[in-house]
Amino acid sequence: MSTETAEALPAAPQIRKDAGMNLAARSFFGFRRMNKAMRMFLAIAGPGIIVMVADNDAGGITTYTTTGAQYGMHLLWFLILLGPVAYYVQEMTVRLGAVTKRGHAEAIFASFGRTWGWFSLLDLVVTDWLTMITEFIGMTAALSIFHIPPVLTVIIVWIIMGSMIMSGRYWTWEKITLVFCLVNLIYIPAAFMVHPSMKDVLWGAFVPHLPPAHGGQPGGFTNTLFFLLMANIGTTIAPWMLFFQQSSVVDKGLKEKDIKFGKLDTAIGSVLTVVVAVVLIIVCGQLLYGKKVDDAAQAAISIMPSSKFIGTVFAIGLFDAGLLGAVCISLASSWAFGEVFGWAHSLNRKIKEAPWFYAYYFFDLVLAGTVVLIPRAPLVLITLFVQVIATTLLPAALVFLIILLNDKKTMGKYVNTRWENIANITIVVAVIATSTLYAVSAIFPGLFGS
Amino acid sequence: MIKSLMDQIREINRKYATPEIVMTPFVKWCLLSLRVYLLLLVLLMIVKFVIAARH
Repeated sequence: MSTETAEALPAAPQIRKDAGMNLAARSFFGFRRMNKAMRMFLAIAGPGIIVMVADNDAGGITTYTTTGAQYGMHLLWFLILLGPVAYYVQEMTVRLGAVTKRGHAEAIFASFGRTWGWFSLLDLVVTDWLTMITEFIGMTAALSIFHIPPVLTVIIVWIIMGSMIMSGRYWTWEKITLVFCLVNLIYIPAAFMVHPSMKDVLWGAFVPHLPPAHGGQPGGFTNTLFFLLMANIGTTIAPWMLFFQQSSVVDKGLKEKDIKFGKLDTAIGSVLTVVVAVVLIIVCGQLLYGKKVDDAAQAAISIMPSSKFIGTVFAIGLFDAGLLGAVCISLASSWAFGEVFGWAHSLNRKIKEAPWFYAYYFFDLVLAGTVVLIPRAPLVLITLFVQVIATTLLPAALVFLIILLNDKKTMGKYVNTRWENIANITIVVAVIATSTLYAVSAIFPGLFGS
Repeated sequence: MIKSLMDQIREINRKYATPEIVMTPFVKWCLLSLRVYLLLLVLLMIVKFVIAARH
């Protein structure tokens, strides 16, 4: 026994040396694998982050601001809940686009036929155009804080958006848009600067509850609560997002093997969208709780006396949010029309190669920009109502998406799992229930309190 | 131009006349009901919007 032990002893340093070499080799190859995966992800990332950050568009910023001012931090939990909701809905478009190589409009026409196809396209056109108006409302309001007249803002936006697509390369457009996405994170430092009570933040974020009465406003279920819940859902998941991400995935050329990176891209995007929403509610909940705030621009002006920096951040962020939203929404419509009408429809084409695709893009821009310049239009009301109408029309689009993702013949192994179906059907039912409750509260205003 | 557009729409209608996914009449009825219901809700909201805008 002792001899065996003595013979075994000299070998020990060798084992350790081998183990050391193995560890070094393993670390080296592990690092190379990680590096390769990271480079792959960076090449594929884009559509998910862009769609999710653009989801915090001008209407979204206005909705979060109003929610924070109206209910403080009491609805933070609801916003956090909307993160996974957005992810589950949007990741379906990644799979569908990568597997079928079809944009969303084309997929609906081909799978459900012309009648449902035209219905979906009509929904998209109406909601996109209305949402585009809200983007211009936000951008003009934001720059008016810096004394820039609305006409000039609209012209500046047309020039920026026109020049973004001039390169005729999807890659260039995507990288410019990602820079605008980074600017959208400008709100994050503001949340730390307002020194919110951690107890209030944690309570609001992790303990689901109804807002209590505050500053003369009734608590619990009210018409206003349903309206803001609807608006928050509408700004987190909207029909244009389904069309945009799927078409974007196809235009970028993602394949089935890229789906896992596409999902990660969408997951990171959904985290970013929730972070920005939560930050905005914290800032407004801390500085404006109980005050009457109708829109984000008004919030920026109200914040200016207490912190010029945060007020300015609000205004810049609002302009950026509107621009991002406008870019994505006008592209979603152009892609959809291109797919259905058979026009060349890719950002990898120059304007003369895809004239109708770009013509619709500019048509959308000009039409929406012009509406904002109409004097005395009820712009704030339009902004919030557009979110609500988009939410109401959402279930129809989601049902089609769920049916498409359950078509085993087309999707093969990428078909929805049982859990994904449960999650998505729950989302559809919840959206329909909230829409119905809001409608009931609109017909009978006294039912839940006003 | 309008004639060309109408021709394109006719071509689209012809191309997508037969859906790839075959739905039972019950599923079609459910989809149609959902669509009608959602449109009613939207109409209601538009009425509410007009009333709110007037005030």
